[in-house]
Amino acid sequence: MNWRLPALIVGILAVLFVALTLAKVNPIDVVTTLLKGSLGTPAAISATLRETTPLLILGLAVFLALRAGLFNIGAEGQFVVGALAGTAVILRIPGPAGIVLGMLFGALFGALWALPAGWIKAYRNGHEVITTIMLNNVAALMTTALVAGPFKDPKQGSPTTAVIDPSSRIPNLYSNPPVNLNATLLLGLLMALGLAYWLRKTVAGYELQAVGANSTAARFAGVDPRRVTLRAMSASGGIAGLAGALQVMAFEGRFYANFSPGYGFNALGVALLAGGNPLGVLPASFLFGMLEKGGTSMQISGVPKGLTTVLLGMLILIAAAIRYRRVRVVA
Amino acid sequence: MQGITKRFGAVTALDSVSLEVAPGTIHAVVGENGAGKTTLMRVLYGAIRQDEGTLEIGGKPVRFANSAEAIRAGVGMVSQHYGIIPALSNLQNLILGAEGGPVLNLREAEARAESLARRMGFKFDWHQDATELSPAGAQKLEILKLLWREARIMILDEPTAMLSPADSDALFGSMRQLTVEGATVILVTHRLPEVMEHCARVTVLRGGKWVADKAVTDTNPTDLAQLIVGGALVAHEPPPARPPGEAVLSVQGLVVRGERGNDALKQVSLEVRQGEIVGIAGVDGSGQRELFHAVAGVSRPVSGTVGIGGADATKASPAERLRGGLRVIPEDRHAEAVIEDWTLEENSALGLQRLAPLAKGGAVDTGARANWAKAVAERFKTKHGGLNMPMASLSGGNQQRFVAARALEMDPKLILAFQPARGLDLKGTADIYQAIREKCDAGAAAVVVSFDLDELLEHCDRIVAMNNGQIHFPPPGQEKDRDAIGRLMVGAA
Repeated sequence: MNWRLPALIVGILAVLFVALTLAKVNPIDVVTTLLKGSLGTPAAISATLRETTPLLILGLAVFLALRAGLFNIGAEGQFVVGALAGTAVILRIPGPAGIVLGMLFGALFGALWALPAGWIKAYRNGHEVITTIMLNNVAALMTTALVAGPFKDPKQGSPTTAVIDPSSRIPNLYSNPPVNLNATLLLGLLMALGLAYWLRKTVAGYELQAVGANSTAARFAGVDPRRVTLRAMSASGGIAGLAGALQVMAFEGRFYANFSPGYGFNALGVALLAGGNPLGVLPASFLFGMLEKGGTSMQISGVPKGLTTVLLGMLILIAAAIRYRRVRVVA
Repeated sequence: MQGITKRFGAVTALDSVSLEVAPGTIHAVVGENGAGKTTLMRVLYGAIRQDEGTLEIGGKPVRFANSAEAIRAGVGMVSQHYGIIPALSNLQNLILGAEGGPVLNLREAEARAESLARRMGFKFDWHQDATELSPAGAQKLEILKLLWREARIMILDEPTAMLSPADSDALFGSMRQLTVEGATVILVTHRLPEVMEHCARVTVLRGGKWVADKAVTDTNPTDLAQLIVGGALVAHEPPPARPPGEAVLSVQGLVVRGERGNDALKQVSLEVRQGEIVGIAGVDGSGQRELFHAVAGVSRPVSGTVGIGGADATKASPAERLRGGLRVIPEDRHAEAVIEDWTLEENSALGLQRLAPLAKGGAVDTGARANWAKAVAERFKTKHGGLNMPMASLSGGNQQRFVAARALEMDPKLILAFQPARGLDLKGTADIYQAIREKCDAGAAAVVVSFDLDELLEHCDRIVAMNNGQIHFPPPGQEKDRDAIGRLMVGAA
């Protein structure tokens, strides 16, 4: 066991301790508030799981791109574009058919939103981080403009669409307000399993990861890295767009300006924290959901919510330190 | 330079080599790849330190700890791979590392640059990005970089490798101009016509040893070629008695554009038949790499055709070629052949991932893959710490065994190998060539690129030579004649 990792963890705890002291709060109180706020009551757990759901699906989207060697910073933009596209469909077609079509359109528009970044990366070698960040801005402004204009519910004062029909809602598996468990979480779970299977057990998954790990070697092995890049980016955007449509149908019931509180960005942390395994996205997204919900409770009791972001950043550092270890030559 | 010896581990790269260069001349250093030319030059300009031997410049003993000291003493080198940064302007490239102070005075720099260039008869647009430079322009800029640093002794390593004949002539004109002004040029090359035409003296190295030092007027290309490859003849096995089979690889009139826009392959044609191992000899950078990539399908030719197994494969993707039985042992193992983070088992399927039994429809058969990985590791006795360990945990030699076995053991029709025994000892080398031979006896064909002529002479049925982007065939009956091939390699036929 080398000493660096424990040293890193101790260092991080020290930074947190200093931060909490500067905020003039008792560290133990903070931890208790955080845990109580996120896991203390059935209602708290239910709220944590609600936060976990979009983070889980978006985390899978970012994770998939990451396996292909792509940093999809654009999940945020794909998420809102998918959410608006899905809402537009569901408002016209209620019922189960609308749910299916809404999901399809959300995924389709998310994929289309990611497509330019994938294409530029694959065929022009333009970095996807730059292009996806720009597309995020375009997405945020464009959806805000649309929801203030053509998609605005005339009966509302603020820029928001009408509320979708109750028959277009994705049902709760268990409901006893304030405790709810929506079926979307189960869908996310199945998606994680499906992605894990696809990456491990299909030739396409193998080839995608080969491109991510060493695209030159992949090319010699008969894989076209450009095509894989384009497809991986679109698929990642598709999943993010689907997450957007699901968010409307499961929780929000409508699309409005500033729809996402930054789920797409937190999903980057989720995917990085997950390590090499898509199933790692499950605990990672739950942790992020906990800190999100617990942070809100913390804020109510007077501790700045930003501290949870500090903690998350530190966790990602530790995860990176564990992940990028050097391999020893044994033979 | 007197009695220079340099060892890398157990390998003696230079064995008591001496070199004496008269001031104001162009002096050639010639030899095969691995003869020690570049190592000797790296000692001279301070990039590495000799284990034994002494250096004198202008009669004064010197010892350089690094190349910065060498450049202060007036010794500079232009290597085969230019140190030009495309994103910077020509002027910025010129002064990089020798700016003359923390604050740039670009106007002054430009004036000085322009006067240097005019002296040499060069023309540069100083504010243009260096990406715009032609190969010849880049070479000229490198020479100016040395003049900028006031080098009096200039080492040029294969300066004409990328240049057209006209540009080469112009370059030699500039070199002569330099010598007239009192500079000394040491030219590392394997092109004998250049030596004969432009140089005063020539030093021949072979296998890290000094072989000869002659005035160019006292020698001729045939002599030099013999000195370069050595007179010693290897015992050749007789050519195979069986009749050659169907053509497995048929390359016709292939033209490939190089990285610098030059023609890296010029109308290359080659046919390889069932049952034969064809060696491609030549010094590094003669076009072998481009030919290899074009046959593997990872680069697109400008014109010409590639036929594999009797069918036109010019437009076929690498995947289609692999399905047709092409198996590749790439040159750069680390970058092209393995994924170091992945396990041995995952690596064992690389390139074969779409073939039965490793794939069933679109699914990976993990059971079959585990068995296959075991067989691959056992074939050449790869030492490893478990098939689920990352490839990075293997030494280079063991990785090479693994990569070679992967290419040879799954029903190859055409084996394309670039230095298949790289980093292996004699026994390992023999094992791999033996395996290639067995596959060819069973109906495959093999193309092997190597910079080691002896290795090819020992293991191939016939050898062709590449030089300057062209392929040369030895006369009938001399397909394994060391001297004939040696002459073709250096363009002295």
